[in-house]
Amino acid sequence: MNKLLITEITRMGPAFCVIGLHRENGKIRSVRPVTSTANSWLHFPYHRGDVVQCELAPFCGAKPHIEDRVSTRGFQKESAVPEPEVVAFLRKAEIAGSLPDLFGCALHENRNGTGLHATPLEPMRSICGTETKNLRLELCANELRATLVLSSGEVLRDLPVVDRDWRDFIDSALAEGKGANRVGRLQRFLNSQFHYKILSCPHHFIRLGLTRPYHDLCWLMLDTLFPLPKQEWLEEL
Amino acid sequence: MAPIADEDRWQRLIEECFQREAGSQASLPSSSQNLIETGVLDSMGWVGFLRALESASGVSDLGALLTEQTPSFESIFRAFKNARSVRSSGTGPSSKQEPVTQSAVIIASSSAALGSRRIPSEQVDRAFGMPAGKLRLRAGIESLAYAAEDENELTLGAGAAQRALRAAACGPEELDWIIATTETQRGYPSLAAQLHSQLLPRENCGALDVGGACLGLVNALAVAQGLIALGQARTIAVITSDVHSRTFKPGVVAGEFGGLFGDGASAFLLRAKNGVAPQPTYGLGEFFFGCAGQYAGAIRVADVPNGNIEVHFDGEALSRAAITRLENVIRDIELRSGIARSSLQGLATHQPNPRLVTLLAKQCGLPLGKFPVVARQFGNLGSSTCGVALDAILQSTSSRQADKCGPIFMASLGPGLLFGGGWLVPA
Repeated sequence: MNKLLITEITRMGPAFCVIGLHRENGKIRSVRPVTSTANSWLHFPYHRGDVVQCELAPFCGAKPHIEDRVSTRGFQKESAVPEPEVVAFLRKAEIAGSLPDLFGCALHENRNGTGLHATPLEPMRSICGTETKNLRLELCANELRATLVLSSGEVLRDLPVVDRDWRDFIDSALAEGKGANRVGRLQRFLNSQFHYKILSCPHHFIRLGLTRPYHDLCWLMLDTLFPLPKQEWLEEL
Repeated sequence: MAPIADEDRWQRLIEECFQREAGSQASLPSSSQNLIETGVLDSMGWVGFLRALESASGVSDLGALLTEQTPSFESIFRAFKNARSVRSSGTGPSSKQEPVTQSAVIIASSSAALGSRRIPSEQVDRAFGMPAGKLRLRAGIESLAYAAEDENELTLGAGAAQRALRAAACGPEELDWIIATTETQRGYPSLAAQLHSQLLPRENCGALDVGGACLGLVNALAVAQGLIALGQARTIAVITSDVHSRTFKPGVVAGEFGGLFGDGASAFLLRAKNGVAPQPTYGLGEFFFGCAGQYAGAIRVADVPNGNIEVHFDGEALSRAAITRLENVIRDIELRSGIARSSLQGLATHQPNPRLVTLLAKQCGLPLGKFPVVARQFGNLGSSTCGVALDAILQSTSSRQADKCGPIFMASLGPGLLFGGGWLVPA
């Protein structure tokens, strides 16, 4: 049995992608449990910070998704750790401070300056944590996008945000019951208060990931943004 | 109803940007076709398409206008029609914003940042090999603000700018321009470009560096005022930042010159005044400038081949010229604005050193208290001296009602001898 700390749940279309940390030869590494038939889960009832027992096949996935491990038996929740502790563990796993170090390969900007991508066989991994000097979330025509500054000063623009909790937060903020002018209020929140709530948090941390190859490109995305959104923030909108 | 010609231009623009994203061979979808659901574009392509349109049209918030809308050509057409924040573009569908009068440009918020180390001037005397007490006795400097190891032009400037943005409840994506000025950062990317990357405004927010050394802030405010008045921008961050302690250091320049300078930054958020301004605030008046070349030899700073800098500094000539010119500028502001100096809230002037500020106050017949204390405690901060002084005056009025606030004069000098000034009035 493997012990896995669930650190990421991302929303990819109708399904969820799950990433966790486990200890291997004294090192903390990222693992992406997948089913034997798909790379994602249509139903995943666990939360970030949950420590689960599971059975994972020992074989790595194909580059760059070397973290993939086929899950051969269901998960069993053992305990849970608080958010700051999850981040403390993530800081001990894969981490980098500059663009070429993120995935051990060159990352290219899209020709319109929106988003970045890698060539499928080049990256050494598909997930990496990093500290940011600044971060901005923006709602662009129904798409949640992030622009961030790495500690090296490099700017990554228009990364799709796939973090389940953040996407759920945006959906809740735009729910019909939230009253008039929801988009404007959410944009004002993202444009001002969000910044201070996130960047002043001592456990602010992000993880970036690469999509599976799509038209021969692996796109960079913001998998996880800590701190996670709080329910009470919805009342401030 | 928009003119037909506009709709033709929008159509052309949408088609060109679409084909840039989807490929020139891609056939054009029908007007109401959902581009994502029908697989014409994926979400990356959709955002890429919109970014291209934003950039080409000058409608910087097109993406925001399309939230909760179907991703289709039809929606984009509708968003263009509803575009509120239209920026000027020769080729795009937008028309210019309505020009505003100069007095309708306000300072929505301000902030200052100083090097976090406070060094007694006697310690600086010793570092430069001068007798202890020289800076205090001759120049009136009690202490200097020096940047800590982890501080530089970027961190100080960005810190001041972030506080100014926050004070005005303004997010970085509202910025149309970042205008920066510094006399100490000489490398590239320039300070404005670095601030752009640090503050994270939209990519199509401009980044402009303005020179002028100690006159830099007045230059930058005048440029920002012009951009807003012409309808080219609605919100601009003007930022000064200077870290002298790493350039004018012992062994490189003489203490009589290098010992005068400290490190600091300031930031001002300028906006077009729309309706009733948040109280209290100041509107920009007029600015004027000139260059008295006859004093150009009084101060010259140049790079020399061994990597050092060569400073020619005729302190006495410069002091005389500075006092005369600053007094002239203040007199000219008074004449142009019709504002009596006796009614002023304060003066944000260049402060070469505290002794000269005292002398200037005396020559102008003004109480010394009208000049915020900058050089005495922090040293000459270059382009940030005026900024820190202006911020101090603005902060002092923040809890007063507009009718209890007086006008502010700004006057400064730069090597050359550049001079400039202007005024601000409660808005």
